[in-house]
Amino acid sequence: MRIIFRLVLLAAVAGLGYWLWTVFFPSPEKVIRARLTELARTASFGSGDSPIARGLKAQRLANHFTPDAQLSFEAPGIGSRTLTGAEEIRQTAAAGFHSLSSLRIKFLDVTVQLDADPRTAEVRLTAEIRADGSEDYGVQELLFKFQRVDGKWLINRVETVRTLSRAATPRPS
Amino acid sequence: MPNATAPTNRPHWLRVLAFGRRPKATLVRILVLGVSCFVVFRFCLVPIRIDGISMLPTYRTGQINFINRLAYLRHEPRRGDPVSIRLAGPSVMFMKRIIGLPGETVSFQNGRACINGHPLDEPYIKLPCDWNREPVQCGPGQFYVVGDNRSMAFEHHTQGRAERARIIGKLLL
Repeated sequence: MRIIFRLVLLAAVAGLGYWLWTVFFPSPEKVIRARLTELARTASFGSGDSPIARGLKAQRLANHFTPDAQLSFEAPGIGSRTLTGAEEIRQTAAAGFHSLSSLRIKFLDVTVQLDADPRTAEVRLTAEIRADGSEDYGVQELLFKFQRVDGKWLINRVETVRTLSRAATPRPS
Repeated sequence: MPNATAPTNRPHWLRVLAFGRRPKATLVRILVLGVSCFVVFRFCLVPIRIDGISMLPTYRTGQINFINRLAYLRHEPRRGDPVSIRLAGPSVMFMKRIIGLPGETVSFQNGRACINGHPLDEPYIKLPCDWNREPVQCGPGQFYVVGDNRSMAFEHHTQGRAERARIIGKLLL
């Protein structure tokens, strides 16, 4: 009986130790997922948020990107746009945050793949975007490239994945 | 002579109602039912809730449907099939109708879909359409998919060539 009790206690201590290890030394995948959750939270705001709060959110949003980050996106009705550098991302976000009454962003089906180089990682996900409190929403498949800079995982590149391609076939000249 | 007041071994009627006369057999039935439901609704008939206006009037927001993932085991997707197309994962999917098959050219002339230059008969289109678009050629393994609601602006209607690997099944109802 005493042996069983000791074994159970040992297993509990080992489990607690493992849990503490994952809390204090989380895996890169866990850190990247947490960063994406934080990014979605930062990029979302409600109609009650003040202009100052929105400006701060735009600033915090830019902090998720490397200084040379590139953000290329394509959306129905908007077309394609490319933003280069954290500063341009911050300015565009600030302008966008002030022109919309509310924005809700959710990242779904997140798949993190660590590259052979331990300082880079690739993430595929579906972004669900609701603007101005509308019931209707847009979905986009996105590809993120993360880079580890000074121990922090930052976004270096974001691209829209063309789930459905509709570019016209070029005519033979 | 048996004593009429002696306690019997018959279980309480509430226990019979909850667990059946043979609890072991009931447990096995519950397990079989649970596993069957998991396999059927995860790998064969995936339940979905429709959201959005692109398939109006055939499918409306809020309707429940199922994706038959076994539909294309024996044959390739066919023209006219309403299909679901995956993005980064199974949480959100596009629901569209196949109009163009691999190798075919799809265009829109005065609101009518044309395949290799010939107008396509589409009895499921009920709403007016005025689209005019240049031809798009489907490559090998590509299917042209579009929604039934062509009264939307072309730019706001998500459509295009989908890779075969992204088509996960046909709508059941």
